[in-house]
Amino acid sequence: MGFIRLVVFGFLALSVVYLSISLYSRSVRREKLEKAWAEENPTSTDIAARDAFVAEGIAAYNTSYQRKLIGLVYVVPTLVVATIIYITNTN
Amino acid sequence: MERIKFYLRALVFVIAGLFLHYVLPQHDVVKLTSTEIIRTDFSGFNRIFYAQADSGAVEQPTRDLRLINTDKKKTFLLGFVPRDATEVMVYRNEDTGWIWPPYFKFDSSDLQAEAASAAKTEGWAVLTHYGWRVRWASIYPNAIAIRPVDGPGVRVIPWFNIFFFIFLIIGIAFVRAMWLQFRERAVDPMLDSAGDRYDEASAGLAERRGRLSRWLDTWRAKDKR
Repeated sequence: MGFIRLVVFGFLALSVVYLSISLYSRSVRREKLEKAWAEENPTSTDIAARDAFVAEGIAAYNTSYQRKLIGLVYVVPTLVVATIIYITNTN
Repeated sequence: MERIKFYLRALVFVIAGLFLHYVLPQHDVVKLTSTEIIRTDFSGFNRIFYAQADSGAVEQPTRDLRLINTDKKKTFLLGFVPRDATEVMVYRNEDTGWIWPPYFKFDSSDLQAEAASAAKTEGWAVLTHYGWRVRWASIYPNAIAIRPVDGPGVRVIPWFNIFFFIFLIIGIAFVRAMWLQFRERAVDPMLDSAGDRYDEASAGLAERRGRLSRWLDTWRAKDKR
């Protein structure tokens, strides 16, 4: 019973962490793209071109490894719990 | 205001510190003397300082409690400075189960057998525990592991706590970075546009009021000079 509670609430808590990290990571990436655009075209006022550049960068980010690494949020705590269980319960 | 802020911050730090001091593992150098089992009737107050029933068993209002009696080396500064003096210390030995605190301890019977075996030889051991001994509330620290050692002069390095605090600091820095990013990218632009809209609205209002009051003024009595 306790195990099921741990799995359910642990999953919910980690999902909150996962969502916040993925939003944060995408936001940082978007900011970087905007800055890169501003650096390359300091005088440009072509907002459509800028938006296309940023959208392209975000699309590349969406399929990148870095984004998939956020999935470790679920893996690492599970491994930590398994390790703690092993260490605590062996003599 | 600054003073209230300071005291509130200090209070938060003290509460967090006490919480971590209760929950994080600590290592005592002890000589195990005996083990025993007493029946325990929890009160509403000290119930939260005990774990739940053994992880395979059912919860009852009263149950037996495994205790480990020891002679413990006294220390200063949370165990960092050893002393020559000893004192008696009694530990409880309960499953923490799947929930809280997250030690995932299911082997309290085995630990009790280890403690009994070490008590027979009156050997020294490093006993890992969390929790406090509070005599007036009948609260005991919970023993997690027993590691036999040669003598009372061992030096224990708290690896878990070192890594825990490193990750805690990294985690706090990360949450702070996330919050700053969220403020910069989501909250501030929203406030800016809300501010702009407020300015426009109040400017529009001022203009309309201007027209209205000018019209009203035409009804007022002219300067009676």
